[in-house]
Amino acid sequence: MEKFGRDEWVAQIEGRRKARGPWLRLAEQWQRVPLGLRFALFIILAAAVPLATDNDYVIRVAGNFVLYSILALGLNLVVGYAGLLDLGYVAFYGLGGYAYAYLSSDFSGLHWPTWASIPLVMFLTALVGLLLGSTSLRLLGDYLAIVTLGFGQIFVQLTNNMTRISLPGRAEPVDLTGGPNGIVNIDPISFLGFSASTVTHYYYLLLALLALILIVVYHLNNSRVGRAWRSLREDELAAEAMGMPTRWLKLLAFAIGAGIAGLSGSVFAAWQGNVFPNNFDVTLLILLYTMVILGGMGSLPGVVMGAFILSVMPEVLREVELSRYLFYGGMLFVLATMIRPWPRLVLVLVGVLVGGYLLKLAVMALWPTLVTTPEVASSFLGRALQAWLIIPPQATLIGNLAFVVVVPSLLFLSRTRYTIVRLIALIPTLYLLAFVWETRLAVEPSITRLLLLGVLLVVLMIYRPQGLLGQRRVEII
Amino acid sequence: MDLFWAQLPQQIINGLTLGAVYALIALGYSMVYGVLQLLNFAHGDVYMIGAFIGFGIMTALLPDKGDPLLASPLIILLMLMAAILGCGVLGIGIEWFAYRPLRSSPRLAALISALGVSFFIQNAIQLTLGAKFRSYRGDALIPPTLGWDIGSARLSAVRLLTIAVAVLMMIGLTYLVRRTRLGRAMRAVALDREAAAMMGVDVDQVIVATFFIGSALAGVAGVLTGIVFTRIWHSMGFTAGLKGFTAAVVGGIGNIPGAMLGGFLLGLVEAFATGFISSTYKDVIAFMVLVLVLLIRPRGLLGAAVLKKV
Repeated sequence: MEKFGRDEWVAQIEGRRKARGPWLRLAEQWQRVPLGLRFALFIILAAAVPLATDNDYVIRVAGNFVLYSILALGLNLVVGYAGLLDLGYVAFYGLGGYAYAYLSSDFSGLHWPTWASIPLVMFLTALVGLLLGSTSLRLLGDYLAIVTLGFGQIFVQLTNNMTRISLPGRAEPVDLTGGPNGIVNIDPISFLGFSASTVTHYYYLLLALLALILIVVYHLNNSRVGRAWRSLREDELAAEAMGMPTRWLKLLAFAIGAGIAGLSGSVFAAWQGNVFPNNFDVTLLILLYTMVILGGMGSLPGVVMGAFILSVMPEVLREVELSRYLFYGGMLFVLATMIRPWPRLVLVLVGVLVGGYLLKLAVMALWPTLVTTPEVASSFLGRALQAWLIIPPQATLIGNLAFVVVVPSLLFLSRTRYTIVRLIALIPTLYLLAFVWETRLAVEPSITRLLLLGVLLVVLMIYRPQGLLGQRRVEII
Repeated sequence: MDLFWAQLPQQIINGLTLGAVYALIALGYSMVYGVLQLLNFAHGDVYMIGAFIGFGIMTALLPDKGDPLLASPLIILLMLMAAILGCGVLGIGIEWFAYRPLRSSPRLAALISALGVSFFIQNAIQLTLGAKFRSYRGDALIPPTLGWDIGSARLSAVRLLTIAVAVLMMIGLTYLVRRTRLGRAMRAVALDREAAAMMGVDVDQVIVATFFIGSALAGVAGVLTGIVFTRIWHSMGFTAGLKGFTAAVVGGIGNIPGAMLGGFLLGLVEAFATGFISSTYKDVIAFMVLVLVLLIRPRGLLGAAVLKKV
């Protein structure tokens, strides 16, 4: 059905009326604190990270989070404010990275000073954004999405392949991008005689950039242009009828978003010291979209929070023990919210635990060769799982089979109406899920991360399309 | 110039083969877009699953050593049937779990959900089957010596089969949409979902049927890709889906003959780009064609201009 109007104000009032309970009230109190103050607090807290630890890895993760926040803020401006589905955003990031690398490395022989190269890179990416925008803005929403997605793909293809280009005036073909080997040994950022060399330097640099961009984006959103963008997002036809220059507004959003991406791309290139085509692929695009959507499209604290969750969580998942706690804790939380009243929840949990233990005892008594004894885990939870779960010799193969069984059964259980059937069927499913986690998902953290990202997107869209901190919109017809 | 004319027929054959695959993918995109106005980003991954289903059947019936269990035409038929059934059911499942709860949400929500499904399927396959390339044993199914020389070009039996199966599917689909009750219901839902519901059309059923048919066509495309181009892998669906979507857009999305035309056109453009310019830049050139077509006809080649009433 065609949506006619959505009103943020009505939704806000309605949401406020619904805020009950101590947590929600606390959250509301927190909402009353001015946004600037909240962000100042956040920046101060973030700035204390390198003081609290001298572990480079932790600071690097924190720096990645800040970088992702900047990128997500730029994307939020295009998608969340102006409502343009730009799937080529990562290409602008890559363009910034490559342009900076080109201007300041041995690859081209140019070594421009930072104060000249970064503004030029920003201008360049914004210009490309403007060009791409102007060709595709005649297109309606979905067409824009596909053209920009194509642009992103082309960028990766070109950087991978432009290694032998014949230029007029040169006899030999020229390598323009370094191909899959990328461009290496990029100059660090330096200004006023100071050259950023350690992770901590870049961390503070990124944090300062984040603060700057937060201020810019906040004021932009509350300006005349920001209001125009929002009206454009809600109803383009009405906006145009009110005399808004919709074409220019869209182009502006596109160009500013591209500029921010280009800026973060050049800082990324300087920080890493090298750029490769696969730094800028679709996975990153999906990750950025998930950040913006998880936190709440259009909400600045939401976007930063989304970036935090999705950049720190994968690092946590790398640790087997930590990820184990996270996974089983998350499972328990989901069960507790889904199954009510609580005696049923207890029934299911006891059923899984006792049933699993009995199964293990039975199998050990009847077919002892089917059970292997893994090395003793370090944590309590790990040891408890070892006592409870059967790990057969061909764990990978059986884990894969269990995965194939578990996915459809979980899906069906999420859509059945018969609670008793659901409860009984849940017991073996949960057991299998634990089995799949231990044998496959915990073993392949990088695939698991992407798998969970996909699930998160679908579930989020179904249950909370506005994101964690986003505002629900109410239809007024 | 002589070289160009000598190569032209072969490139046309290559283009038509590639185009047949693109057209089949594009049809699914276009049909779903027609009834739901949804960009089904997971469509490319359904195509990938189809290729893997065909691979599974082939490995089961055509052992590496020893005699095949069935005659090869029968094996191909079974592969196609299994892919149709498997992908059709998968398509219905995706619609049921990921799109139906979002029927009344903003379109962006459904789009993001589709991206999530695509990501999930791709990584689930990578988790269970690994990231390595697998090869169809096309030679064992259809001997590469089988074929006809037409002037300077060669039409191998594999390519003829691909084009023929695709064309057959398209004729069947056209008949279904134009002449049957279900087809009439589909056109009605595409035109105006609410009005169709008021006229007694079971909208949910029509949407389920659309997903089944669209996904089945993608499955067929997957098997055909495997037979002709042999290599399959877990992320093959992304680029192919993008191409299929491009074809659907070039032809005019939501328009069934348009999707076929767009698919064949894109295949020809790519084959010409590969044959006469450079294979590295075929995707770049295909994309340029998309932008060009959209700039001249923003609604695609066969798409009608739609007046938006408020």
